Amino acid sequence: MPIATQYFDVHQRMRDQGVIFSFVGYVSEGILFSLGEALKQKMRLEETDANVTKRVFSIFVAQVQNIIRYSAERLHADSGTPAEMSSGLITVGRDATHFFVVCGNIVGRSEGEDLRVRLDELVRMDPDTIKSYYREKLREPPEAGSRGASIGLIEIARRSTRPIEFGLTELDADRAFFCLKAYI
Amino acid sequence: MDRLQLPQTERSPLVDFDFDRQRLYLEGESYPEDAAAFFGPLIAALDRYLERLRAEPPASPLIVDLRLAYFNSSSAKAFMNIFQRLEAAACDGIEVRVNWHYQTDDETMMEFGEDFREDFQAARFELCVFD
Repeated sequence: MPIATQYFDVHQRMRDQGVIFSFVGYVSEGILFSLGEALKQKMRLEETDANVTKRVFSIFVAQVQNIIRYSAERLHADSGTPAEMSSGLITVGRDATHFFVVCGNIVGRSEGEDLRVRLDELVRMDPDTIKSYYREKLREPPEAGSRGASIGLIEIARRSTRPIEFGLTELDADRAFFCLKAYI
Repeated sequence: MDRLQLPQTERSPLVDFDFDRQRLYLEGESYPEDAAAFFGPLIAALDRYLERLRAEPPASPLIVDLRLAYFNSSSAKAFMNIFQRLEAAACDGIEVRVNWHYQTDDETMMEFGEDFREDFQAARFELCVFD
């Protein structure tokens, strides 16, 4: 297949799914910031309701920070956190009725199981329960070994206007691909 | 104590902690790369300051104004830490007033304000709408 046809096909398939932008590869805090700015600008130009824009942006930041902190595929500089890059997938789009934010990344098997337990719990909660759960977590001292994912996930559930969807697919004995889709 | 002033950046709020005038002001968006590194020094300064106020209770209140447009969950945790310290100081007899400013129609910031307000008994926490 000629190169233009090949990539036009990729481009069209994404457009057909309502994709506003999609990013695959190593993400850093700098990329999070730039993509976030582009997203806000796009929504402003389309005169999206300010509250919807805020919800989409909140979910986007929480999702991307989860990739940066928890992806099993990561590059570290010895100097520490600011140079951290982690591999993952980010897609923001809109269908006929909702905006959506999808994030995917590879996780260790036990982290994957842990995510499944937390998310199963969140999916079963109604909005008021999510709200009080968020308040409860905000008051707790940070969990050992956690860098805030638990509250990040609750934030995503809280800002979503439909229940979040998620899944895990096993890659090998130690690793799984995790993805989460939130609708606004 | 020297006044603590940090300029607003794209990802972190303006901070103005004027110890002598008993005012703390935060304004902007907050999703710093490293929330602990950003808020750590502010919380440490608040601890030192509240110790000083406990030793010598002031005649006028400590006034805290927050005017935030967006913050992530690690920043929310940091605000909670600050509020718990302010409420504890108020319980010890220091008069504390917290003003939570949010723009009309900003549902998220209004909701956060309502959430945080529930944690204050001794300190006064007010929701202040602006256009």
